[in-house]
Amino acid sequence: MIDIRQKKRSYFALLMPAFLVYISIIIFPILMSFGLSFTKWKQFKMVGFVGISNYVNILKDPVFQRAIWNNIQIMLVSVLGQIPLGLLLAYLLYRKWVKGTKFFEMMIFLPITISSIVVALLWNRVFSPVGLYTSFIRQVTHNPDYVVTISESPRFAMIPILIVLLWQYTSLYMVIFLANLQRIPESVFEAATIDGAKESTIISHIVLPELTGVIFTCSVLAISGSLKSFDLVFAMTGGGPVNYTTVMALYLYQQTFTFSNYGYGSAVSIIIVILSVGLISLSNRLYARAQKSIN
Amino acid sequence: MNEYIKELHMKKQIVLAVLLVLLGSVTAFAAGTKEEADNDGQKQITLTAYMQIDPADDQYRGHNEIMKQFAEEYPDIKIDVEYANGEAFHQKFQAMAASKQIPDIFTCYTGARSAYINETGLVMDLNKVGKFTDAYKAQFNDGTFTAQGKNGEIWVIPPSFAVCHTVYANDALLKKLGLSYPKTFEEWKAQVPAIRAAGYYPVSMGNKDPWVVNSWLLSLFVDRMGGPQWFMDAAQGKNGASFDDPQFVKAIDIIKQMCDAGMFSPGVNQMSNTEADQEFYQQKSVYLVDAGWRTSGMDSQLSDQMKKDVSMNVFPEISGEVTHNTSTSTPSEGFGLNANLKGDKLEAAWTFINYYNGEKGAAIRAKYGEVPSYKLDLSKVAMAPMQAKFATFQATHKMGYVFDSVMNGEGVTLLNNDLQEMMLGKGKSPKEIAEKYEIWVAANDTNRSR
Repeated sequence: MIDIRQKKRSYFALLMPAFLVYISIIIFPILMSFGLSFTKWKQFKMVGFVGISNYVNILKDPVFQRAIWNNIQIMLVSVLGQIPLGLLLAYLLYRKWVKGTKFFEMMIFLPITISSIVVALLWNRVFSPVGLYTSFIRQVTHNPDYVVTISESPRFAMIPILIVLLWQYTSLYMVIFLANLQRIPESVFEAATIDGAKESTIISHIVLPELTGVIFTCSVLAISGSLKSFDLVFAMTGGGPVNYTTVMALYLYQQTFTFSNYGYGSAVSIIIVILSVGLISLSNRLYARAQKSIN
Repeated sequence: MNEYIKELHMKKQIVLAVLLVLLGSVTAFAAGTKEEADNDGQKQITLTAYMQIDPADDQYRGHNEIMKQFAEEYPDIKIDVEYANGEAFHQKFQAMAASKQIPDIFTCYTGARSAYINETGLVMDLNKVGKFTDAYKAQFNDGTFTAQGKNGEIWVIPPSFAVCHTVYANDALLKKLGLSYPKTFEEWKAQVPAIRAAGYYPVSMGNKDPWVVNSWLLSLFVDRMGGPQWFMDAAQGKNGASFDDPQFVKAIDIIKQMCDAGMFSPGVNQMSNTEADQEFYQQKSVYLVDAGWRTSGMDSQLSDQMKKDVSMNVFPEISGEVTHNTSTSTPSEGFGLNANLKGDKLEAAWTFINYYNGEKGAAIRAKYGEVPSYKLDLSKVAMAPMQAKFATFQATHKMGYVFDSVMNGEGVTLLNNDLQEMMLGKGKSPKEIAEKYEIWVAANDTNRSR
């Protein structure tokens, strides 16, 4: 007979490879970044420990403050835009309220299959000063100086990016919701309809409670994805004009790889990790509360 | 039961043996191939190379031909090249530099942009290479070998010069409008209403990436208003010169004046270089502010008629300027060598960079329009029309410094953002921008601490 010690040993041996990989590619870089975040670098060499001054300088930097605000905007669009819209589209398709559901499923899903760089180039071709939309408006209004001015506004420059993000990622959530809606037995909907339940009742008493877990998972995906937004913004605007569309990951990239401020960049990465963990914990709590109230 | 355990034990041993064989083979293959292999009985030296070059780009047709020619002429030297571009190139190179594992040959700037590699002891000072003699240097144009490191080191042989300021003019359009290339800045500004009334944009420039206004205009204005000596003094904080001096404020103010006069096409700060070029190529604008190297693209994209119509000029005379009729240039990216190279490998690497930069390589590059730093009789080279104009342009204009190739990148980025905000009609005045930049330079720029 295999005794408990032997069992434990084999569990440990089986877990070890994965654990080592996890430590080396997740835990070690985070700890290393944490250590580096208290250092100052000059001319590609560490010149000493500076305590928490990197953190203080980051939080005081108006560019970083703008980056945080831009990330918050992306997060709001993701959580309050992509997820509800994805759910709505999934529900419309699931209930077959439109003809040609397969066609729409495919068309809506298409943007997520395209690389962010291609998406950025595509939309730039539309809204740039020599783009399709701009040329069309110039023709219609006979105003040769027309340009999309919101892109040059410090307050609204993020709007074109947010629109593209909404267009691109809603489909991901739609597919997740659609797959989960298909798990609800059809007889439940039939029974509710026979009992005279309105659509709003079906949604609030059947669909939403069934999908709470999925909505939570989607929210976690949306929050973490929003905080590390990089590729689309980098390719679409590069954070410009000025710093109007910069995001935290872009700020981190610039500080670390363009200016070689490795200590400062590490501090930015730690702030991003703290914010991610904090926000995901918060959504976890909200989810637990929602679960409680449903039960 | 015992037999079952024995069988289990045997199976374990077989699995273990298979794993060991697999591990052994993986280790053997991961060790890589031998550096030196036999090629038809001849000893072949393999060099690794990392280049910021896009072989698919028309601009690098000369490079492709050189590589092919070199491989044919020197079968005993094999160059394993990895190509990358832009930020991706620098990012990977920084990682290589951090791990101190850099290739044998690589492209590298002479200035601040490549400081992560050439100021960390990883690049060979070519002065230490036996064949890099004064006689060798004399084969190149003046200014090719000005000191690149703070102790007079030479990291790379610049194959050519990057001309960062040109005003391209569509002379046919100007003629149609009854205008000619302006002699002064005031005259240029005065042309704007006539050009706009005729339905054209005056000047195309792609300033979506904010370094453009710095490289292509501010550098020139700094040279014109302050001169090269004042600029170097301000950069190094010598002789009481600094960037809040009136020379620098005036240089910034000229950009503001250009915006206020409506010279740029709308959305200049949203437009990429390519888009600005296309606007000019499609004859929607009369002038294009761009770099000199754009001529290679023009030769492949413009109609024959337009190649005749487009002239290359410098910014007209500015009131109060101290240098006249100047453009700006910086030694272009060249090949550097790994500081650890020695023996046959060093010899092979030198053979390659000498071939590339020397007579043969220079002739091939000139054929595709590059004006090489190597002294070559260009009259004997059949050049494309725009490239021929570029060669004349370089021969007839004095060159000032390119601002962002001298000053540290972080400060330049702050300055660029302020300039772009000013161009959007928001933000600080030229004086405030200059003062803010001076504060940054005084506290951080390595030119000041040298």
